[in-house]
Amino acid sequence: MNIQANPDLSIAALSIDSPEGRIVSDISLALGRGRPVTLLGESGSGKSLVAQAIMGNLPPGLHATGRVVFKGTDLLTETPAQRRRRWGRSICLLPQEPWLALDPTMRVLPQVAEIHRFVKEKDAARSNALAKENLAGVSLAHAGALYPFQMSGGMGQRAAIAMAHAADSELLIADEPTKGLDTVLRDSVTARLKREVEAGRLLLTITHDVAVARALGGMIGVMLDGRMVEHAPAEKLLEAPEHAYTKALLAAEPAKWEPQASAASGEVVLAGRGLAKRYDRRSLFSDLDISVAAGEIVSIFGPSGCGKTTLGSILLGLSPPDAGVVERRAGMSPLRFQKLYQDPPAAFAPHQTIRKGLTDLVRLHAKEWTAVERLLDRLRLPETLLDRLPSQVSGGELQRFALLRALLLDPAFLFADEATSRLDPVSQKEVITFLQEIVRETGPAVLFVTHDRDIAENISARAINLDNKGPLETAH
Amino acid sequence: MSSIGDLSFARPKGRLPAGRMFGAGLLVLLGCFAIIGPMLIPADPAAQDFSASLAPIGGDFLLGADHYGRSLLARLAHGARLSFGLAFLTMLAAALPGVLLGLAAAWRGGWTERFLELSATIVLALPGLMLVLLLLAFAPGNYAPLFLGLSLTLWVEFYRVTKATTKSVLAQPHIEAARMLGFGSCYILVNYILPVIAPMIATLSAFAMATAIIAVSTLSAISVGLQPPTPELGSMIVELLPYYAEAPVHVLLPAMLIVLLVLGLQLLAQGDHG
Repeated sequence: MNIQANPDLSIAALSIDSPEGRIVSDISLALGRGRPVTLLGESGSGKSLVAQAIMGNLPPGLHATGRVVFKGTDLLTETPAQRRRRWGRSICLLPQEPWLALDPTMRVLPQVAEIHRFVKEKDAARSNALAKENLAGVSLAHAGALYPFQMSGGMGQRAAIAMAHAADSELLIADEPTKGLDTVLRDSVTARLKREVEAGRLLLTITHDVAVARALGGMIGVMLDGRMVEHAPAEKLLEAPEHAYTKALLAAEPAKWEPQASAASGEVVLAGRGLAKRYDRRSLFSDLDISVAAGEIVSIFGPSGCGKTTLGSILLGLSPPDAGVVERRAGMSPLRFQKLYQDPPAAFAPHQTIRKGLTDLVRLHAKEWTAVERLLDRLRLPETLLDRLPSQVSGGELQRFALLRALLLDPAFLFADEATSRLDPVSQKEVITFLQEIVRETGPAVLFVTHDRDIAENISARAINLDNKGPLETAH
Repeated sequence: MSSIGDLSFARPKGRLPAGRMFGAGLLVLLGCFAIIGPMLIPADPAAQDFSASLAPIGGDFLLGADHYGRSLLARLAHGARLSFGLAFLTMLAAALPGVLLGLAAAWRGGWTERFLELSATIVLALPGLMLVLLLLAFAPGNYAPLFLGLSLTLWVEFYRVTKATTKSVLAQPHIEAARMLGFGSCYILVNYILPVIAPMIATLSAFAMATAIIAVSTLSAISVGLQPPTPELGSMIVELLPYYAEAPVHVLLPAMLIVLLVLGLQLLAQGDHG
């Protein structure tokens, strides 16, 4: 791998303005063959906007200034039509959640073949043969006849990579390529991206996952509030971060946490015995025993689609098991069994301000508003957020509001369903830390679902691996 | 999750697009004409004066007179009131059961939903005007069968939209969350369902009123709806049609009024993308 002195894509002083003001300012970076760049940062830090400025598909109303020089031409001076002609030919985007970006009415093989046929202008038979090769290259040779909805998220992602490979453009931009994937799938996607780099393509990756940035190597740029706060080679940045935010980001990686398992401090609150559930003629789990006691966090982990959420719904009584029984400690109000959702914005009514929701809750259960104020303080949520709609606060803050809402009812059992998987690492760590503190202070039983084994092992004394269809005790 | 959704490029709230503003303005003017007009205009819409047959516009009669010498201004005002009133009543009679049944079907599911779906499909399978004609056969020239027949065909839209929307809202996690927090069905209906369906129902209502206005005038024009001498816009056009050569503008006046009424409603009803 020879590193060229002359980069193939260089961005200088790129700024993006909206009518309300500047949202991304002064980004400079350079990509060369064998030297990928990864932009790391939380939601709203503007990293996707940088990608869109390079592609030339910024949302209406946004305007980019500066220089984006790709092989000697400044892309920002080209007309929209000229830039669109580059899409799929010299610049190609691997979209966020490609599973949603695939055409749902078309089988996978023809979707890949289309690229050869219409972008590369080959004949039909040749296109099909090439598409088959592309799919085989991502171990999807058997899946060519499937529709996107028949595939898992990981397969969809690999299909999208096959398409990006088929396009064979010089520059590949991957926008959150591992969002919503579990660890195993994430690593396989990252490995495929790395292979693209080795094949001599330029790669710009956008992610909030430090592990992805580490695996890809090259240069890493850390973005915060529309600025690049640190830009250095991967080894240097990951080993010796300089900026405080980079340090926080690296410390928030689950593998780096200090294990802090809370042990049971009371009697069993909720227990399931001999639980079984089938879905679509497939057994999710059978003969599963589980019990959660006051003051302990029990983790369930396993890959997507293994029935973690279903197990929680059964324990909460939201759906019935096919076999087995769920026992709750006698004499407890059903209101003391609460749930935290995977996607915080979905768990709040979109039209209702957070204050209205909380006021109604306080009134319904004849509580005092001071209880809310105390919890706001406890969860470090500023009071100004109360008058916003759920879509106007960040995911991490909203998840803390969800926690607050549940805590108002003095929960005995909390089911956290992938409650932090959609948050960036810093907010994820924050929410989990609060959860651990709450468990220590007031002692609810917590069942924590995650697809991240590191989190499971760090926060709980007992972790159940649903993949093996049975409990796997991990001792500390 | 570095998405554009975090930033707001939305249109500032509280301002209707120009098209909807225009529609609303038009409807207010026509509404005033229909409600206040009949009170202010002293002329009786049925009073005949053969000496003034087909009187020109701008003379003794502000908008002229028809072949019987009846004041067109008075007849148009009464006609507008009739069309508006009948359309409004029809819309109410269709919207109320439609929305309530839609909510019931979405909420209860199962047999309730299946039964209501079947009824809706049967009504949709019948041509709407035929249903009205069928009912009109019992009492020709009356308001009641006209209004009943129209609402019987129009409720299905309200039912279908309410049911589909409510069902998708009820399936969302925030409803499950609200139930787990102890909120009852009544709270969920008022705070979570109604805010979502209300704008859709408002749009549908405007469309339903436009449909009703057209249907009433069409039926009266083919002489099966309201009978002369009732000042109905559709029958006025037909009555004046033989005198088209002498007084072309007279024929166009009721037609213009129908167009303006329906245009106003359609403009008001168009979506936010307009």
